[in-house]
Amino acid sequence: MHDNVVFNNKVLPYFLLAPQLVITLVFFIWPAGQALYQSFLIEDAFGFSREFVWLDNFIYLFSDDEYWNSIRVTFVFSGLVAFSGMAVALLLAAMADRVIKGATTYKTLLIWPYAVAPVVAAVIWWLMFNPSIGILAFLSWTLGHQWNHYVNANEAMAVVVIASAWKQISYNFIFFLAGMQAIPRSLIEAAAIDGSGPFKRFWQIVFPLLSPIAFFLLVVNVVYAFFETFGVIHATTLGGPGNATRTLVYKVYEDGFVGLDMGSSAAQSVILMILVITLTIIQFKFIERKVQY
Amino acid sequence: MATVSLRNIKKTYSNGFKAIHNLNLEIEDGEMIVLVGPSGCGKSTSLRMVAGLEATSEGDLYIGDKRVNDLEPSERDIAMVFQNYALYPHMSVARNMGYGLKNQGLPRDEIRRKVEKAARVLEIEHLLDNKPKQLSGGQRQRVAMGRAIVRNPKVFLFDEPLSNLDAKLRVQMRIEIKRLQQEFATTAIYVTHDQVEAMTLADRLVVMNGGKVEQVGPPLDLYEKPETQFVAGFLGSPGMNFMPARIQGQALLVQGDHRIDLPDMAELAQWDGRDITFGVRPEHLEACSEAEADFHLKVDIIEPLGADTLLYGHLPGSDSLMIAEQPGKRRYTRGDVVPLRVDRERLHLFDAETEQRLNE
Repeated sequence: MHDNVVFNNKVLPYFLLAPQLVITLVFFIWPAGQALYQSFLIEDAFGFSREFVWLDNFIYLFSDDEYWNSIRVTFVFSGLVAFSGMAVALLLAAMADRVIKGATTYKTLLIWPYAVAPVVAAVIWWLMFNPSIGILAFLSWTLGHQWNHYVNANEAMAVVVIASAWKQISYNFIFFLAGMQAIPRSLIEAAAIDGSGPFKRFWQIVFPLLSPIAFFLLVVNVVYAFFETFGVIHATTLGGPGNATRTLVYKVYEDGFVGLDMGSSAAQSVILMILVITLTIIQFKFIERKVQY
Repeated sequence: MATVSLRNIKKTYSNGFKAIHNLNLEIEDGEMIVLVGPSGCGKSTSLRMVAGLEATSEGDLYIGDKRVNDLEPSERDIAMVFQNYALYPHMSVARNMGYGLKNQGLPRDEIRRKVEKAARVLEIEHLLDNKPKQLSGGQRQRVAMGRAIVRNPKVFLFDEPLSNLDAKLRVQMRIEIKRLQQEFATTAIYVTHDQVEAMTLADRLVVMNGGKVEQVGPPLDLYEKPETQFVAGFLGSPGMNFMPARIQGQALLVQGDHRIDLPDMAELAQWDGRDITFGVRPEHLEACSEAEADFHLKVDIIEPLGADTLLYGHLPGSDSLMIAEQPGKRRYTRGDVVPLRVDRERLHLFDAETEQRLNE
C-alpha cells in the first residue's frame, strides 16, 4: 500500500468533498429517505389524509400474487437480456477479433447502437414487430406463424428482451473485444500447438481469461435490465399483455403514477433500493479483488 | 526425433513484403540449429513456418519424411517455447504442462506421471500446483520448457526464449537448455538475436539478413571464416574492425597509407589494385614493439573488463573508430598511442562491392 496523502489543513478536505456530498444528499439521500418514510404511510390519492401503518405496505406486497408475478417477470427478463446481450456480443467480438480488413469500420458500426436511447431502440423494434405494419411480423406470417405480441405473452417478452439487449450488445462487445485483444497471441498459438482446435481454444483458453470481464458485464447487464429498461417497456408493451412484461420498475410507476397508491409504490421503491445496494456490494466485493483465474 | 528440411521456402505477405527469399536448410536428426540475425531478418518467420503458425508461400517443408506444409501445428509433432512463455494463466503448472497430452486423449494418471517426470528433470516439482502468476521469470521459463519436453516431440522450437530474463539467469538457462537438448538428443531450432547465445548453443549456426541466409555452419567456422562482411560484423563481440583498403603487389594499403605485408596468397596477383574492405577482430590486434607495428592506435576510451581490456580509439590522421582487445593485466591511460600488429593468420578481406569474402 502507498502511504496515504496527509492534508495538514483541517478544512480543505471537507471543502473538496462538499460538491459530491451535496449532490448525494440532495439527489439521493433525501429522496431515498422520503421513499422510506412514505413506504410506512397509506395516503389517499389526493393527499387529504395519511396514516402511518408501519410495515403494512410491505406485508400486503409480499402476500400479493401480482407482486410475485412481477418479481418473476423481472428475473426472467433480466436473465434473458443479460444472457442474450452477452452471448451475441461475445460471438461478435470473437469474429471482430479475427477481422483483418475494414476492422475499424466494422467495430464502429457495432458500437453505434449504444448511442441510441433505449426508448428509441424500443420504438424501432416495436415498429418492426408490429403485427399490422412490422417487417419482422410480416416475415413470421409468411412463414406461417401469426406473430402478435399484443396477445402472446412470450412474444411480448421477446420484443422487450430484444429491444433491451440490442442496445446493450454494443457495450458488451467493446469490453469483450478489448479483453480478447489483451490476450497475448502466443497463448492461442501455444494452445494450437498443444493440439487444441479453434472451438476448444475458445472455451478452454480465451473464455476463462475473459471470465472476469464476463462477470463484470453480468452485473452491469442485470442492473441495466432491472432499472434502465422502463422506457423500453413503456414504449412497447406497457407491461402487457396481462402483466406479462410488467417488471418491478414498471410496477412502481404503474402503482404510483397510474394507480396513485403512493404508499405501495414507495414500498416497492425501497425494495428495489435494497436490490441495487445488494448488487453493488456484490460487484464491489468481487471486482475489487478481481475474479481470480 | 526427426530431420527437418526446408526446401526453396519463400514467404511473401499479402502486402507484398518478401519476408523470406529462398530458404534452403537441411537439419539433421538431433541437431541444434540456431537462427540468428538482426530484427526483421526473417528468423522468427522461418521458425513460425516450421511450427505452422505462418503459412509458407512457396517451397516444401519436411519433418522426417512427411511434407508438413498443409498440416496444422498440432499435427506436426513439434513443441515450441515462446519468448513470453505463453503459459495459460488460469491453469496450474501441472495442467499447463499436461494440456497437450490431455488434448491427445491420454489417461489422467499417465499425464500425471509424464508431467512429474518432466518436472523432476527441470527441478520444478514443488511448483506443480502453483499458477504461473506466482512464479518468477526463471521458473516460468522452466515450466515453458517442461511443457515442451513432456510432449516428447520430434522437434523443439525456441523463439528467443531467454530474452525476457535478466543477464545472470540467461547464462544459467542457456546452459540448462544445452544440457536438456543434449540429454534428449531432440532436433531443435532456436531463434535468437543474441550472438553469444547463438555461438554457445548451436551445433550449426544460420546467420540471416534481410530474409536471406548469409552463411550456415558450425559457430567457430563462421567466426573464423565468415563468408560475408555481414557475418563477420555480426558475430563476435566487440565487432570486427573494417577499413577500406587496396591491394598493391604483396601488400595491403589500409586507409591509403598503412602498409601491411600479406602472407603468400596465390590470388593476390589478380586482386592487384582492387578496392577491398579489410577486416580484423579486436582480439587479433596485438600490442607489439614499434618496429613490428602495423597501426598506431590513439586511445580515446578504455574499458577494463578484468580478463581483457578494450581500447577504443582511432588511427592518427583518421577519424574512423578502431577497437583492440588486450590482456587485462597491462594498464592503459587515455591518450596512449599503442603500436599494434595484425595477426596475419586471421585477417579478413572482403570485396568492397559485393561484400563477399576474398581470402581463403
